[in-house]
Amino acid sequence: MKACLAVVMAVWVWASAPWVDAQPQPTGAATIDYQQQVHTILAAQCLGCHSAERRSGGLSLASYADALEGGRSGAAIRPGNAADSLLIGRITGQVPPSMPLGKPALSAGDVATIRLWIDEGARATRASAAAAPKWEAPLALERPAIPDVVRPGWTMPVDRFTAAYLASSGGPPPELVGDAAFARRAFLDIWGLLPPPDDLRAFVANANVDKRRMLIERLLADNDAYAQHWISFWNDVLRNDEGVNYHSETSSRKSISAWLLSALNKNVPYNRFVEQLLSPAAPGDPDGFLVGVNWRGEVSASQTPAMQAAQNSAQVFLGINLKCNSCHDSFISKWQLKDAYGLASFFSEDGRLRLYRCDVAQDVYASPAFLFPELNRVPPSASLPDRRRTAAAIFTDPRNGRLPRTIVNRMWQRLLGRGLVENPDEMDGVPWSPGLLDWLASEFVDSGYDLKRLIATIVSSKAYQLRAVPRVGEQPRDYVFRGPEIRRLTAEQFGDAIGAITGDWNVYQPPAPTAPGGAGPPPARHAREWQTPASPLARALGRPIRDQVFTTRTTTATMLQSLELVNGDRLSNWLLRGARNMLGELPLPPAALFVTPINARGAAAGQTAPRVAAAPFDVGVSGAARLWLVAQDTNSTAVDKAEAVWADGALIGADGVATPLSTLVPLDASAVRSGSGTAVIDEQAFQSAVRVKTPSRLVYDISGRGFIRFRGVVGLEHVSRLAQGETILGRFLIFGTEPDFDRLVPPAPETPLPPGPRLTRAADVVDRVYWYALGRAPYAEERAIALEALVDSTRPGRISSEGVADLLWAVMVKPEFQLIF
Amino acid sequence: MADDNPHLIGEDHRAFSRLVGRRAFLGVTAGATLSALAGREPRRLQAQSSGPAATADAVIVLWMAGGMAQTETWDPKRYTPFEPGVRTDRVLSTFPSIDTVVDHIKVSQGLERVARVMDRGAIIRTFQAADLGYILHSRHQYHWHTGYIPPQSLAMPHIGSVVSRTLGPKNPSVPAFIAIGQNMEIGGESAAVKAFHTAGFLGSEHGPFLITNPLDAATAVRPPAELGDRRFLSRRRLYQKLLAKEPVYEYAGDFQRESLIRSLESADRLLTSPSAKAFDLSLEPRAAYDTYNTGRFGQGCLLARRLVEAGARYVEVTTEYIPFRYWDTHERGHERAKAMKEQVDAPLAQLVLDLEQRGLLDRTLVVLASEFGRDAITEGKVGKEVRDQANTPDVMAAPEHYGMHRHFTAAGSVVLFGGGIKKGFVYGRTADERPCTTIENPVPVQDLHATIYHALGIPPTTSYVVEKRPVYVTNDGKGKPIRELFERG
Repeated sequence: MKACLAVVMAVWVWASAPWVDAQPQPTGAATIDYQQQVHTILAAQCLGCHSAERRSGGLSLASYADALEGGRSGAAIRPGNAADSLLIGRITGQVPPSMPLGKPALSAGDVATIRLWIDEGARATRASAAAAPKWEAPLALERPAIPDVVRPGWTMPVDRFTAAYLASSGGPPPELVGDAAFARRAFLDIWGLLPPPDDLRAFVANANVDKRRMLIERLLADNDAYAQHWISFWNDVLRNDEGVNYHSETSSRKSISAWLLSALNKNVPYNRFVEQLLSPAAPGDPDGFLVGVNWRGEVSASQTPAMQAAQNSAQVFLGINLKCNSCHDSFISKWQLKDAYGLASFFSEDGRLRLYRCDVAQDVYASPAFLFPELNRVPPSASLPDRRRTAAAIFTDPRNGRLPRTIVNRMWQRLLGRGLVENPDEMDGVPWSPGLLDWLASEFVDSGYDLKRLIATIVSSKAYQLRAVPRVGEQPRDYVFRGPEIRRLTAEQFGDAIGAITGDWNVYQPPAPTAPGGAGPPPARHAREWQTPASPLARALGRPIRDQVFTTRTTTATMLQSLELVNGDRLSNWLLRGARNMLGELPLPPAALFVTPINARGAAAGQTAPRVAAAPFDVGVSGAARLWLVAQDTNSTAVDKAEAVWADGALIGADGVATPLSTLVPLDASAVRSGSGTAVIDEQAFQSAVRVKTPSRLVYDISGRGFIRFRGVVGLEHVSRLAQGETILGRFLIFGTEPDFDRLVPPAPETPLPPGPRLTRAADVVDRVYWYALGRAPYAEERAIALEALVDSTRPGRISSEGVADLLWAVMVKPEFQLIF
Repeated sequence: MADDNPHLIGEDHRAFSRLVGRRAFLGVTAGATLSALAGREPRRLQAQSSGPAATADAVIVLWMAGGMAQTETWDPKRYTPFEPGVRTDRVLSTFPSIDTVVDHIKVSQGLERVARVMDRGAIIRTFQAADLGYILHSRHQYHWHTGYIPPQSLAMPHIGSVVSRTLGPKNPSVPAFIAIGQNMEIGGESAAVKAFHTAGFLGSEHGPFLITNPLDAATAVRPPAELGDRRFLSRRRLYQKLLAKEPVYEYAGDFQRESLIRSLESADRLLTSPSAKAFDLSLEPRAAYDTYNTGRFGQGCLLARRLVEAGARYVEVTTEYIPFRYWDTHERGHERAKAMKEQVDAPLAQLVLDLEQRGLLDRTLVVLASEFGRDAITEGKVGKEVRDQANTPDVMAAPEHYGMHRHFTAAGSVVLFGGGIKKGFVYGRTADERPCTTIENPVPVQDLHATIYHALGIPPTTSYVVEKRPVYVTNDGKGKPIRELFERG
């Protein structure tokens, strides 16, 4: 089955090779027929080892397409050039080992036939055109010559490559997008935010011919907005996530968010960036990348942290897929088991790694060896830091053209929707313009690996600014570049758009510091979408579970996704809050009657267990119909170990009579843990206790009971169960009115963008929504429809906040909003 | 994971061309197949031979989350009543066994109702959870639900997603894969539980339609309460009017634009379809509801029956996994196993009877399973050193010590009804003395999955192309269906 697949893929790759920098081919009819004359020789002499099933050395000569595809040593046949063809080298014995292996050589006549067939272009039939040479991705990087200017105004190097390509591939004359569409793309691609209406109008009205370049420079100059957008891309690529833990007892997952945000802010040169990921040395370096994703218990040999590091670094930085050959020699590429282990040996605790084939130990050991032997270096010592440093030096070696090509292609793919090489994780693929790819890569290296310069170069190009190309279905097989793909807003762009348009942003609760003796949780703050845990809406819109490397998000529209848009609480609640905020009608979140931190950390073995004293409370509850008892979690690592307790809780009536909390029944008891009787908090015993999970919320109906005060203590039981490094961190809170669970404590007032104007005229609401969401004024008919929706039938002359929410919804589910044209 | 957009080739491509005249596909494709047609999903490799003839069209998995003690349920052993000071190694079952309507099948006390319908189903007593060393429930659950052990270099799909992708929806107005009962925010293992409730590389089209609380299921297919029907409809009309007026220029007919519009329509179709009533338990006659209502799990079973009647393809109902709760009996095992059986017995028996009475049992496979079994002594596999995670003293001094508190992977029970499964049948045998390990016919996850797939007509070697390589629906395509379990062999 696997072998069959390789054949199928090979046929496809060959048949679709559309590159334009092909070598000149011999013309005229050929004299040798492949099927009659060549295949018969190959079938008789070679198929014993090079059949489609056996593929010795990765080479099958069973079919025409197989023969042209070549094997692990690369192309066997270079059409039009028999002298340089490995097949000829082998059968003449010029390139050892001579073939057929251990058998008499081919007759001089047979060799001559094959030689002539190749020199005539290795055609499928006599009448067919000469075969296109197999694309072989080069390793080294050479700056290509820039084509002449063939289109007026297309003078920048990228434009000259693009114009030359477009001229040679035919098609209608290229058209650039208008200013508003360009600004929407540029804002979304550099900041991840929609252009604010005033900026957009000013940009469109600006008569300066250089204004697009100026806008790009302005956007890139805002380090923070840039970093807060691109961090989502890098989080996907580097598998970085917060608060995700699979309880490995040896090497649990580790976030690199702080480093990543700072590196993007400072625009750390990409070679340095890669170096720090592969060879983290200083405190604060991103060692989480090499730690990988680890689950408790035994792990397949192909998924140890070092093997994950090999797979991820090869995929992310070099566009090489080592997943198959982490288990066995790949059936679909030239990579072998030893290659994956050789790379993993740079990152493993022990520099001598035993090979496992499909989880069976082999009597073979790997030592550090890079995928391309010509770039390999021997670590100065066997120490892990030395091996990692050496790996970083190899990856970032200037002779390693794969590193810049891969990132340049990723950026192109991200910004135009399709890579120069279509699959950004398979950089052996054929670029539609090898010259452009290499020029961009060379320029990137010469700029000092400057990611922002690279983005500026691409976004400034005519290629980026072409009209997007609509598609009726699947990507065509013979891809011809005509312009960017139509892209879709990411989950983060979608959420940030709601924040920007309405001024109502997500609230992010930073984790409490985990160092011993740390204080309670810091204040919450308004934040962009990437920073908050993934909501069902964000997941539906494509934010991935980052257990694997994601370099391209799925943008498919699905019914489940639409249900979240149509029916999900998250979106409808947010839009209603946002609508009220736009009208200045959003009430402040209810304040808590009582707040105290939950704060416990496990001590090292042999040290005294931590002591966390119970915290008393005594609050007035007169007039409250319900009580909310909340245990908030702010990044605990062991919520199941210690138990939060509301102890000796008593509701006091006007007559002084106390009703124990434990005798009341909460409206939903699912937050209550089993266990009753005396609670022990910090060696102090309490008679009655309500034990709850962290996080949890308990709601009690106390209407008509005449209680005036609520007293008791809160605390944690079994703190001594916490092992070193394990934490319970959060807050206990009491509310007399329903809290806003995203805003249990009031967030700091600052928002990612300055708040918009408070809107009092319906026409202003419609204008803001259209200009902000769609980058244009509403047409008269649209305006009339929208205005009608804003009428508040119960309050004449007022704007209905529900109407605003509905208008926001109706505009935001439209393709015009969700797609980037 | 960039290569989730493989090209259609051969027959698929021609089928697409026939179907999709330029701008014509609006009228011909259902929302559920849009992404498949666009080649945005991994392509299925055609099996060498055609698959087995299906004996079932739908599956209901009843998930006993947390590790169901097999000797307290479907594989009872010698009963030892509690008395203070009883030696732990003497205790194999803490309940007496009871007769079923099938002469040779005994089950544990507390399963009387299922005992009366045991002539409609089969028990596998030799399920083999993977040997992963130190136990983590969610990791075994991931393995059970995807067929693969994490970590994995690809995002592996849930079995429900595989069924959805391979067979498609039975009724386009009912999501093909519905998961009932699992709260996703459960503390320390939340991320791990979310990690397998996903369609992974198959694409979100095939992800689970999640219903946490069966009583709230109707709200999942009804406009949000705070919106109300009237506003929901007016908002919808507003969208349609604005959409009709927007300038589209040359982007009309663009695939992405059309599929966004179509997917909203398909969501609407679900909300307004008569099938949406299947989600509403309040429409069930009181007596029937009461029979099922042993709590959330029982309500979930009732919901599963209604959904399968309406045309759901794969429904999973869980007793819910929360560390140290429900079947995760680290202490007071006897008492808690009793409570869990009270939750499970009546709804399972009634589900079987209801499906039978409606003529659906023959084509609906009901599978009750858990990530592993339990024992009072052995942790993990027999004869292997594994760190103890549950405290069990050598002598049971107090009632909280009485029960099966350790995680046991050398045997576990699976119960199957309907869908072509043999009736009144037991597969596999375990020892009658500790460690009560598997003696014959072990059934690893891959073979259990192959059996479920076999019932659905899906060969275990079915594969999808991801990053140019085939990924099989059972572990490397090695799953073997247990043919002895099928009536027709």
